[in-house]
Amino acid sequence: MSQTSGKTINGVLIDDTFAEAFGMSATGMIITADTLKWARIAADTATGFGTSVIGCGAECGTDRILSPDDTPDGRPGVRILMFGFSPEALIPQVKNRIGQCVLTSPGSACFNGLISDQKLGLGQGPRFFGDGFQTAKKLGASRYWRVPVMDGEFVIEETCGVTTQAVGGGNLLIIGNDRPGLLETAEAAVAAIAKVDDVITPFPGGIVRSGSKVGTKYKGMFASTNDAFCPTVRGTVKSELGPDAIAVLEIVIDGLTSTAVADAMRAGLKAITGIGAEKGVTRVSAGNYGGKLGQYHYHLKDLI
Amino acid sequence: MSGLTLRLKAGAGERLDLTGVTPDKLAGLSTGEIAKLVVGTDKEHMTLGDAFDISGTPGDTLTIEGAGATLDFVGGGMASGKLRVKGSVGAYAGRKMSGGRLEISGNAGTYLASAMTGGIIHLAGNAGDGLGAVLPGERFGMAGGIVVVSGNIGARAGDKMRRGTIIVKGNTGAQSGARMVGGTIWAEGGLGVDPGFMMRRGTLIAPKIERLLPTFVDCGRHDLVITRILSRYLKAELGDLAPAPLPHFVRKLGGDMSTIGRGEILMPA
Repeated sequence: MSQTSGKTINGVLIDDTFAEAFGMSATGMIITADTLKWARIAADTATGFGTSVIGCGAECGTDRILSPDDTPDGRPGVRILMFGFSPEALIPQVKNRIGQCVLTSPGSACFNGLISDQKLGLGQGPRFFGDGFQTAKKLGASRYWRVPVMDGEFVIEETCGVTTQAVGGGNLLIIGNDRPGLLETAEAAVAAIAKVDDVITPFPGGIVRSGSKVGTKYKGMFASTNDAFCPTVRGTVKSELGPDAIAVLEIVIDGLTSTAVADAMRAGLKAITGIGAEKGVTRVSAGNYGGKLGQYHYHLKDLI
Repeated sequence: MSGLTLRLKAGAGERLDLTGVTPDKLAGLSTGEIAKLVVGTDKEHMTLGDAFDISGTPGDTLTIEGAGATLDFVGGGMASGKLRVKGSVGAYAGRKMSGGRLEISGNAGTYLASAMTGGIIHLAGNAGDGLGAVLPGERFGMAGGIVVVSGNIGARAGDKMRRGTIIVKGNTGAQSGARMVGGTIWAEGGLGVDPGFMMRRGTLIAPKIERLLPTFVDCGRHDLVITRILSRYLKAELGDLAPAPLPHFVRKLGGDMSTIGRGEILMPA
């Protein structure tokens, strides 16, 4: 049965429902390099395979591009965010992703990207790559490790901040009858969300085509396809889709704060309704578990 | 402007120990209690009231006027607030300072900033020997904070220094950074003879060196990210007092190779 109540804007029905999100821990790093191109390469590599905490260990993405004025070393940079179940769960993710993907990237440096009283080790692992030739420089409250590498020195701050007040799982489900148009609209929504600080959209290009539900008929799995939103089994299951829907794309949003997630969902909704039904989008909904699992609820009607 | 002012009386000729005569320590005391603090160093037990005319009310700022080289340990133990000294000071100014700002308009004697762990000292004149250096019986010298000297400094600055930054607008004396284990000494004028004698780690920066120890080796000309970080950090902390940023390329001299050789002298290249 499809959801039909809600408000229609520019030909797009906004369901009277809510996204259900969860408390998470998050950390952030600033990655700089000689050029923005190489800062982004390092960041993209470090945040790769970081879509879902279930299978990847962390949900990762680039939060924002930083001008040289906004980085500790005055070079171009980006800030990346990593989200996990707990600060402890983030420790190996930080160590491995920074050690394998940023330390190795030409000209890179890595700094704390989140101001917080609670800290995680950042350079505490990669510094040992220096084999005793590494040195530290403490300036104010920050200690920087200088690790000799083949193109000079890899500079990495000793710790990065971590918050346990982050939110993971804000979402929008974009439903339509034209797959290319739907993807184009979803891309526009992701671009709008990218302008909101303190959030990431961790899935490929910010878009998920395989939304999941909790549970499965198979042992050893925790989640499975969200059949209620799968158009090809409409009619054989208790579907949430109307007869005209041929595709659903989801945008998942993780944020350092609940406010940031709400702002991102608002920006995404505005982009979608701004394009309207012209590209084949008929409806926007949101994923939830009946409100029983996640402590953060984002009602779409409050965001339009 | 709120704050306390101490004006040195003409008759106070003996050496005075001003440890703890700082804005944060005096803030909780009445003017009467402040006047009874013992600062003398002989058997007469001269009090602060005996040595100084006291005016104003205790607050975030303390001003010492008419200061001279008989005042030792000025700013000793300061953790916060601003201490302004009009005139010169004796030995051990800023000793064990952990925060706040100490501004001295004249010169300072020996061992300025010994065992300092935080805060900022700005000395408008010259400093004597042993700036930020270890004292006999102690393990390390300066361990944090920033010292800016607008003039020149004496010998063995930063002896066994562990952390923190010393900026000298003029020249240093002999053996700056001797036995250094960390931190930075940046001499905008130049370094005296034999800088970095027996240094293990740490950074010396200068455009010229009077005489280089043979136990320092040329590591080449490099574009170091850490110098950019250092320059930006100092600009943020010091504003106009910060040294001009280093050029991107510096020549690195590694040493002292008679120890572990993890120290460095950086010269604009």
